[in-house]
Amino acid sequence: MIAFWLLSFALIATGVFTITASKPVYSVVGLLGNFVILAILYLTLNAEFLAVIQLVVYSGAILILFLFVIALLSSGVKPFDIGPDRAPRIGVPAFVLALIGLCVIVFSVVRAAVVGAPNAPEGITGQADAFGSVGDFGVALFTKNLLPFEVTALVLMVAVIGVVLLAGDEKPAPPRRKPHARDLEREPIVKPVEKLIR
Amino acid sequence: MIVSAHPLGLEGSYPLLFLIWLLPLAGALLLWAFGPRFKSFAGPIGSTMVGVAFLATLAEWHDATAISGGLAGAHQTLFTWMPGFTFGLLFDRLALIWTLVITGVGFLIHVYSMGYLAGDKAFARFFAYLNFFIFAMLTLVLSDNFGGLLVGWGLVGLASYFLIGFWFFKPTAVAAARKAFVINVVGDIGILFAIVVIVAHVGSISYGDTFLQIGAFSPHDLFIVCLALFIGCAAKSAQVPLHTWLPDAMEGPTPVSALIHAATMVTAGVYLIARCAPLWTASADARELVGVIGAVTAIAGAVLGVAQWDIKRILAYSTMSQIGYMIMAVGVGAFDSGVLHFLTHACFKAQLFLGAGIIIHNLNNEQDVRLMGGLRKTMPFAFIAMLTGVLAICGVPGFSGSFSKDAILTATLAHGHPWLYAIGVLTAGITAYYMFRLLFVVFFGPYRGNVDPSDLGIRHPELAGTAASSGHHPEETDAHHAHAPAWLMSGPVAILIVPTVLIGWIAFGGEGSPWKTFWDPVFPKVSEAGGFVMPELAGTVLVFAVVLVGFALAYLQYAAPKVLARSVPRLRTESVRMPPVLANAYYFDAAIDALFVRPSILLGRFFGSFVDPLVIEGVVHETAHTASWLGHLFRSFQTGLVRVYALSIVLGAACFAIYYVVIGAAR
Amino acid sequence: MTQWLAPMESYIALSAVMFFLGVVGVIARRNPLIVLMSIELMFNAANLALVTFAKLWANNAGHIFAFLVVTVAAAEAAIGLAIVVVAFRRAQYVDVDEASVLKG
Repeated sequence: MIAFWLLSFALIATGVFTITASKPVYSVVGLLGNFVILAILYLTLNAEFLAVIQLVVYSGAILILFLFVIALLSSGVKPFDIGPDRAPRIGVPAFVLALIGLCVIVFSVVRAAVVGAPNAPEGITGQADAFGSVGDFGVALFTKNLLPFEVTALVLMVAVIGVVLLAGDEKPAPPRRKPHARDLEREPIVKPVEKLIR
Repeated sequence: MIVSAHPLGLEGSYPLLFLIWLLPLAGALLLWAFGPRFKSFAGPIGSTMVGVAFLATLAEWHDATAISGGLAGAHQTLFTWMPGFTFGLLFDRLALIWTLVITGVGFLIHVYSMGYLAGDKAFARFFAYLNFFIFAMLTLVLSDNFGGLLVGWGLVGLASYFLIGFWFFKPTAVAAARKAFVINVVGDIGILFAIVVIVAHVGSISYGDTFLQIGAFSPHDLFIVCLALFIGCAAKSAQVPLHTWLPDAMEGPTPVSALIHAATMVTAGVYLIARCAPLWTASADARELVGVIGAVTAIAGAVLGVAQWDIKRILAYSTMSQIGYMIMAVGVGAFDSGVLHFLTHACFKAQLFLGAGIIIHNLNNEQDVRLMGGLRKTMPFAFIAMLTGVLAICGVPGFSGSFSKDAILTATLAHGHPWLYAIGVLTAGITAYYMFRLLFVVFFGPYRGNVDPSDLGIRHPELAGTAASSGHHPEETDAHHAHAPAWLMSGPVAILIVPTVLIGWIAFGGEGSPWKTFWDPVFPKVSEAGGFVMPELAGTVLVFAVVLVGFALAYLQYAAPKVLARSVPRLRTESVRMPPVLANAYYFDAAIDALFVRPSILLGRFFGSFVDPLVIEGVVHETAHTASWLGHLFRSFQTGLVRVYALSIVLGAACFAIYYVVIGAAR
Repeated sequence: MTQWLAPMESYIALSAVMFFLGVVGVIARRNPLIVLMSIELMFNAANLALVTFAKLWANNAGHIFAFLVVTVAAAEAAIGLAIVVVAFRRAQYVDVDEASVLKG
């Protein structure tokens, strides 16, 4: 039990750290920790395959993607500039509402009689057809859920096309205009990275 | 022998009735729609419609006088709106007499108008209006129920408004038309009220049902009904105190005055009372009221007639006075005498007005008698016409007016009203005085048309009564003032001389006269205690004596040779010394103005300045304001910030969660 | 590690907490990248709930579903980041408050 409490504490801590970090890179690190703890929790739930997928896809690919974009947008050493806060202290009502929602769900879940004892077999990790194992997952994925699998492939392809269309082929730079006083206080975003890439 | 209280008439299908009733309407619609295209052909069209209606009336004579099994006259049902509200046409003896006058005299006046209004730019419109009036009056007279009566009542008021204000570029005419209409509305309300009470008691608006169930009314309610009906009669027939519109109605063209304000429309009140004879027979209080007001109007009108200088106003007040006679007659229960006087009056009053019209037309719209004089030599035909009319109206024995007037006076005395009789006799004398005054001032002495108006005491030539005011504007007549053939105007006048003199003879013979036997099946006999039956000859002699006195006084004042020599200064003195009470018509107009007109104007101003901008506009304003405010409120949600939108999504989700959990828990 | 299994309610509660942490992150942070990361946090909370229920009812449809969620989340993150790149390429401030064209 202690293990579970520790794990849950870590989960929540990393989550909080993610959303409250001052720099985006710190947030990414926090999110990484969150994903790892989550993978461990999956393992406790007999979801071996999913735990590995979580680590590989999420922390291995998506977070890297985030890091690239942070690098792309950040202006070298300086942190991201942010403008004036147009909705000050909006966090307060957000926090209150979130708390309400949370309490409602927890309350209903705890009260519900449906949640009982898990009746999945404890399972022997490593056995090919055990619940949650690769074999079991694979059989379900490629027999009963073949169509969703194919559709997911299509989704990913669309995503790739979308990304290429959106962010590729940067338009030629607009004609040089006299720099506004506002523009002069910070360096342009793109140039150092272009230097790096070339 | 009374067949029944008021029979509904022999049921049947009478196509000629439709012809009589609807042909003038067709003429009106035709002339309204295509009038300008017809130009002067509109006159013959209008006249033909009414002429054919008259012939159809003659053809229907025997149907109207038919009696069979307790019902008299012809009845044509039109349609039933609701139980108790059946509309139809009733053509019995009473309707017959009125229809003969309306279509007959109407036809003559249509022909006369073709001459009088020749060259007027709105020639067709005039005949459309005249035809419309004939139709409206026939609706009033031919209806078999109070509803149709009220419709006709209102429509003749409308026609009168059209025709008085025919020359609408004259502000005095417009004001007079409006005044006539508003006062008539007061009468309409009275009749409407009476209809409501009748329906409440009897459950039906038809004459037959009402008269057969008089027992359903308590004496008090019956008096209320008669009083309400009489308010309508007083307004329409210009009885005191609702008479003030009639003298001003003379702003309309003279044929209008002849037809509407002398012969037909103003007698609608008399018709109503005669039609509702069973109601009046049953209520002695109502009869008392009507008789008194009739007598008061008769003498008041006569006295005012002495003080007028406009030839048409003299005749207007004489109309008011003579109708007072008729009202008095039907008020005391002498229905057939009242109707006889209506018949004779229609003839001689139309005669007088048409003759006056000839004078006015030939003198280029001069209406002030002070600027006339000596026309006996220049217009002999007009003199003959007016003379017959004057002799008839004064009740000179042998002429038509005397038969009816004597009948009324005798009946008044016989029904026990000595005071009313005295007033009637006195009024006869005053009538003789002012009518002969008219005759002498217009036709005798030197011609005063070239005299300076102020020498004659005319203070405001621009006001009504002189050529300066009542003339057409030059642009209202066609360039070559086309003179119609003279027989168009003198023909009808010549034709009217015959009944003016002779029509009274149908009542010769007392109780056995053709007139009395004609009405025996219709009118109940009212007998009252205290009546004094004066022998007919004695009555006639007494009235004639009083008339001679009036004539003599008028002669001494206006026609004696030494008077005629100094007519200008004498007229001037009389004008200047006219008592203000008479000059301002007993201040009725001023009283009505102070009591009703001013408060209404103040009330209107109050609503206009306070209620309208603050309350009504305030409501509208506030509605718009609220809509705008709501818009601003909802607009404030559109901040454009993603975070705020996300917050609203979360808010919605939280609400959903609470709803499902709480409601789910409740189940 | 299955011996560390806790009662099922705990996992659901944990999932709920994570979810609402993500919600607060989305609303309260102005950097678009952190907003996207909070969204990923929400996805993972949902995944945890799915896996929990799969365990509860011994039905690996929950696993399949979670797998698909991962895939879709990946695609969504990619496109979201592409949009952020394009939108803030030449912007002065990298701040979601600047994207207020819908203001009305």
